[in-house]
Amino acid sequence: MSAIELRSGGTPAAYRPFPTALKFSLRNQTRNRLAAILLVAFVPIWYLLMIAMAGHKPLNFRMYATGRMLSVDGGHLSLISAGLNALSMIVGFTVFDAIRKTLRFDRRLVFAGYRQSTLIAAKTLATATIAAGVAAYAALVMLVFWRPGPAGWLAVLGGYTVIALTYGAFGLLLGVLVKGDLEGFFLIIMGGLFDTFLQNPLGNPLANKPILEYFPSFGPMQFAVSGSFAHTALWGHLALGLAWATAFALGGLIIFRIRTRSRTHPR
Amino acid sequence: MHKSYGRHQVLRGADLTVDPGQLVAVVGENGAGKSTLLKALAGTLATDSGRIEVSGTLGYCPQDPVVSDNLTVDQHLRYFAAAHHLPDLRRGNELIDRLGYAQYRHQAAGALSGGTRQKLNLTLALLHDPDLLLLDEPYQGFDWDTYLRFWDLVSDLRARGKAIVIITHLVFEQDRFDQLADLTSGRLTPRPANLRQPGQTTEDDHVRH
Repeated sequence: MSAIELRSGGTPAAYRPFPTALKFSLRNQTRNRLAAILLVAFVPIWYLLMIAMAGHKPLNFRMYATGRMLSVDGGHLSLISAGLNALSMIVGFTVFDAIRKTLRFDRRLVFAGYRQSTLIAAKTLATATIAAGVAAYAALVMLVFWRPGPAGWLAVLGGYTVIALTYGAFGLLLGVLVKGDLEGFFLIIMGGLFDTFLQNPLGNPLANKPILEYFPSFGPMQFAVSGSFAHTALWGHLALGLAWATAFALGGLIIFRIRTRSRTHPR
Repeated sequence: MHKSYGRHQVLRGADLTVDPGQLVAVVGENGAGKSTLLKALAGTLATDSGRIEVSGTLGYCPQDPVVSDNLTVDQHLRYFAAAHHLPDLRRGNELIDRLGYAQYRHQAAGALSGGTRQKLNLTLALLHDPDLLLLDEPYQGFDWDTYLRFWDLVSDLRARGKAIVIITHLVFEQDRFDQLADLTSGRLTPRPANLRQPGQTTEDDHVRH
C-alpha cells in the first residue's frame, strides 16, 4: 500500500472541480463531428423517408395502460418511431465515443486528485444535457412534417428525451465496458434498430405483442403516442423508460468507478 | 513488489528506494517490465503483493501521452489545476515556457505534434510540483533543444529536493543519474559505479538511433 500526502487547503483553488469537469465533459461530448452531421442531416432525411414510406394509411397501435387499440395515421406514427430510432443511435454513439476516448484521461484526473463522484456527477449531467438538447432538436424538426398540437408535441418531446437519456446511458455503459470501438457501435446500432422498429406496427408482425414491454423504447413510445394521438399522459410508462436509463447509467457509472480508481491511499 | 500477467511473472520482488533530491534511472530491455513497475509505483496498476511507501506528493508521467484530444493546452492546465486544487496556473505557465511550447496554448491536443503532446504530458505530471516524480520515457519525441531543456528542468527539481525516477532505454548520459537500476528477471539490480561508461548506450539505443 502506498501513502500519499494530501495537499491541505489554505489558498483557495483557482478552479472549482465540478463546474470545470462539467464544462470540459460537455466540450468532449459535443466535439464529435460525425454525430453533429448525423444530427443535422440524418434526422430530417430519416423523417422524410419514413413518412414517404409509410404514407398516411391508418395503423392500429395498442395502448398497454388502458388496453385500448388506437387507429392512428401511419405516417405520423412512423415519424415518432423514426425520431426514437434516430435518437437512440445518435445519442448512444456520441456518448459511447466520448466516454471511451476519455477513459484513460479520466483515470489520470482521478489520480491527480479529482473525486470520482465529482467526475461521475459532471459526466451524468453532461450526458443528460446533451440528450435533452438533441431530443429537443429532433422534436422541433418533426414539426416540419407534423404538428400534433402543443400537448401532443410535449408528449413527443417527453418520449424523445427519455429515449435519448436511455441510449445516452447505454452509450456510457458500453463506453466503459466493451474493448473495441466496433463492438460498441454494433451494439448501439443493432440495439437501437431492434428496439425502436419493433415498436412500430408498420409491417411488423411483433407489433402490439406483449413482448414489446421488455424493450427500452416501449415506455417512451407508449408515452409519445398516447400523448400525441389520444391526449393521455402515461406517466408510468415514461417512468419505465427512465428506469431503463437509470439502470444503464448505474451499471456504467459503477464500472467507471472501478476502472478509474486509484490504488493509492492516503496515510 | 510482485506482479504477474497470467503465468508470466513480470516483477519478482523488485525493490527500489529513492531519496529526496535523488535521480534514478530504471533500465531494462523491451518487455522487462519497466512500465509495469512504474504503473505499480504510481498506483495505476494493482500488484500481486508488495508495498509502496511514498512520502509527499507524487507525479506520474505515463509513456504514451494521456491527454484529451478535444481540449486545448490551456484547458488541460485548468482541468488539472482543479484536480490538484491549485490556487493559480503559475507553475503550469512556467513549465510551458521552460519546455518551449507557449505558442500552442490555444491549440487542441489532438492537433499537436507527438513531441508537443509529450511536453503537455510532462507538464501535467509536474503541475502540482510533486515531491516524487515517476517519468516513463519522458523525452520520447523531443528534439535536441527540448531534450536539453528537459534536463535543465530536472536539475532544478533535484536542487529543490525532488526525488525522480526515470524509465528509459536511453542511458546515453549515465553521469546525469545518481543511480542506475537494471530491471532483469523481475528484479532491480543497482549498477555499480565502476561499470558505468560515460557516453555508453544500451542495446536498445543502437536499434532506435
